[in-house]
Amino acid sequence: MGATDAPVGVRPDLPGAPPAVSARRIVKRFPGVVANDHVDVDLRRGEVHALLGENGAGKSTLAAVLCGLYVPEEGELLIDGVRTVLHSPRDGLARGIGMVHQHFRLIDRFTVAENVVLGDRTQSLRLRRDRTEDAVAEIAETYGLPLDPGAYVGDLSVGQRQRVEIVKTLYQGARILLLDEPTSVLTPQEADALFATVRTMTAAGRTVVFISHKLGEVLEIADRVTVMRDGRVTGDVDAGATTREELARMMVGRDVDLSSRRAVVPAREPMLRVEGLTLTRGGVTSVDRVDLEVRAGEILGIAGVSGNGQRELADLIAGVETPTAGRITVSGTEVAGKGPRAARAAGLAYVPEDRLGTGLAPALSIVDNMLLTRPRSFLLDRRAARAEAEDIIERFEVKTTGPDAAAGLMSGGNAQKVLIARELDSTDGEHTARVLVAASPTRGLDVGAIETVWGILDGARARGEAILLISEDLEEVLAIADRIVVLYEGRLVHETPAAGASREAIGLAMAGVAP
Amino acid sequence: MILGSYEVLLEQRTDVRRSSAFIVPIASILGALVIAGVFLWLTGRPALSVYARLVRDGYGSWYSISDTLGQATPLILTGLAAAFAFRMNLYNIGGEGQLYAGAIGASWAGLAIAPHVSGPIAVVVVLLAGMLGGVLWIVIPAIARAFLNTSEIVTTLLFNYVALFLMQYLIFGSSSFWRDPDSKNFPQGKPLPDVAHFPTLHFPRDIAGLDFPSGVTSIHLGFGVAILAIIGTWFLQQRTSFGFDMKVVGSSERAARYAGIPIRRTVIAVLLISGGLAGLAGAGEVGGRAYALDPNGLVLGLGYTGIVVAALSRYNPFAVGLVAVLLAGLRTGADALQGATGPLRVPVAIAFMLEGAILLAALGGEVFRRNRLVVRRIREAPA
Repeated sequence: MGATDAPVGVRPDLPGAPPAVSARRIVKRFPGVVANDHVDVDLRRGEVHALLGENGAGKSTLAAVLCGLYVPEEGELLIDGVRTVLHSPRDGLARGIGMVHQHFRLIDRFTVAENVVLGDRTQSLRLRRDRTEDAVAEIAETYGLPLDPGAYVGDLSVGQRQRVEIVKTLYQGARILLLDEPTSVLTPQEADALFATVRTMTAAGRTVVFISHKLGEVLEIADRVTVMRDGRVTGDVDAGATTREELARMMVGRDVDLSSRRAVVPAREPMLRVEGLTLTRGGVTSVDRVDLEVRAGEILGIAGVSGNGQRELADLIAGVETPTAGRITVSGTEVAGKGPRAARAAGLAYVPEDRLGTGLAPALSIVDNMLLTRPRSFLLDRRAARAEAEDIIERFEVKTTGPDAAAGLMSGGNAQKVLIARELDSTDGEHTARVLVAASPTRGLDVGAIETVWGILDGARARGEAILLISEDLEEVLAIADRIVVLYEGRLVHETPAAGASREAIGLAMAGVAP
Repeated sequence: MILGSYEVLLEQRTDVRRSSAFIVPIASILGALVIAGVFLWLTGRPALSVYARLVRDGYGSWYSISDTLGQATPLILTGLAAAFAFRMNLYNIGGEGQLYAGAIGASWAGLAIAPHVSGPIAVVVVLLAGMLGGVLWIVIPAIARAFLNTSEIVTTLLFNYVALFLMQYLIFGSSSFWRDPDSKNFPQGKPLPDVAHFPTLHFPRDIAGLDFPSGVTSIHLGFGVAILAIIGTWFLQQRTSFGFDMKVVGSSERAARYAGIPIRRTVIAVLLISGGLAGLAGAGEVGGRAYALDPNGLVLGLGYTGIVVAALSRYNPFAVGLVAVLLAGLRTGADALQGATGPLRVPVAIAFMLEGAILLAALGGEVFRRNRLVVRRIREAPA
């Protein structure tokens, strides 16, 4: 098995041949929830089949059933047309179905090759290091997965570790690979490399099941899309014959408005002004002489590839970092280097990129998280915070067991609603924030939650707040900003109005090519 | 783990019930009694009678209750010292050394200042000096932790030995201010003047009744201080902005930085308060019990036992009080058992063994509180 299983041996479907895997009327329940409610799905040879759905829609459960981790309570699996019951993932692998989990299952102190052959029962007692390394190198090369078989996994980047998992699954003889949210841990460049690998695998006749909640990447990579909602299949379409809007509707169950929104009233006076802002630490300049101005009633979008100084820029403006040089004024008050509390006092609100862990303390209750960025007297008064928490939960339909639940128990979308609402201090007409810095506010969120967050930002703009939107998602910046600047290696390099902006010019600027 | 055709594993509970916060400690104590019972049985002692006697001698009379509360006093304070810092993930295990430093400070004040001031002030000065001693003993670990991120576990532990040897040096190794010049052959601490002795609770003789003829209890001012410290630390943690900052820094330092909470200041303040609490325990031992700085008279290990108290009470100040009284009762009872005759004569070590067994059972119980044991039948794939 494994190394000897050349990819050319697998043929694509002939017309009329049974699908490689066919799941029929699968039912899997967990206490209080039907995770899979009579689910049907057909996986064909040589296709990229996306399982699309919001968090909790049941797609990971379905994948677990397909690979043998769960035995369904009802329904059946047909593999190459033959009814089969899979009792364990090992069972699944024996039939050529393997899963690459979102959280890797690798041993840091083993080499790549050792991790790959781990659990291979055909290995002899004495490990033939050279042979296994050759086998691993061969698979890696065939599928365009550059890896050094002798490297220790602990020294690898996240993207490289994912390649190890994929090679391991291929080595174990998988013809059908289930990838669970594979891009969630990757940089855009790593994601592109992964997509190329996926195409190589399907070209060789293997099937890739791509589990995701991101519309854009599903449309980019998939041949077929099965959409799930609340444990049911709500759509099964060819990727080429569908649109973002249709997929979003099937995912959320209603029309989702992800169309672009702009300011309807001209922007007024400048509220946030940044001049010559620079951060140099350990000889590395991550923010380099940045000048910008955000006016009341507009959203300034900062586009750029992750790691070009976005987080540092946001932290500097919010007072979390002290700049090496430069000035920051929030509605006329100089706040540079005076700390987060001074910036807040001047009217600045900050939604950091890391929402659960930085913006919200996960172990604390929602009520206590309301207090996190409020001025507090010596004696703590939780009554106002409790009222505010209850209000936010009600108005934004936050799914939680109550205001005393730990913030970390909320899903990403619900946590973000709580965080943004707290930062905008939107308690019944009482607004203290006048400038909002929002970093990657919709990263990792469901479509429905993205719509809500965009709606909140748009509403804040309409009320006259000045919003600095720092996002690695170019679509997002194009959709809701009024003006766009590109951050490249800590410098602002390209400015354009968002309406009618050239995607190509922005893309080039993001890559560091001067337009 | 795989046993035959069954797979045994721990699965994290998604719903940790509140009631389990009470059930687990009680089950731990019962489990520990069973474990210790096996040892008692093996050494030919009737376990149930020993336990009955232990309970009677630990909690069964006014006299034993008074003794138990006296023994509980330092444990409450060292328990609070540990719990207060542990809550913030600051592991001050130097309660032992801070207690000694508190004892040195308190006895110095009792000898040097108390004779020159009136009664109530003398006692307050002794208390404050003890607290200050504990605070000073943790200043270096606190600053090293806040600014250099040095592990406070290592530094506070090492300072324990320094404190122990310092105390021994002051009495045995030198003609120091603390040493009684009249004790030429067997060195002892200089006795504190009466004015520095903590007031002790007296029962009126007629109420004290049959089993308490003297009316004098072992409950001294330190017990009141310990009760105030329980309320004070609870109030600080739950009702003040400082307690809120502690909670944020302890649970998520990034969130604290984001919110502009002064992290270093909070870390230092928490450690100093923790040291001060342990120092108060030392003051209580000097001013309320030993009336001198005396390495032989001081009960060793009170600081370490405080860590056990903190762990068993899950860092809740009120639970610290209960657990301290419980463990103190075990010790009082065990002391009495040592003097018993016949098969009930049990070495005092039984109390320490029970403490250890309770702690282990509680730590094990905590694992099951957060996880559930799942036994699943596995079937090998038909190839």
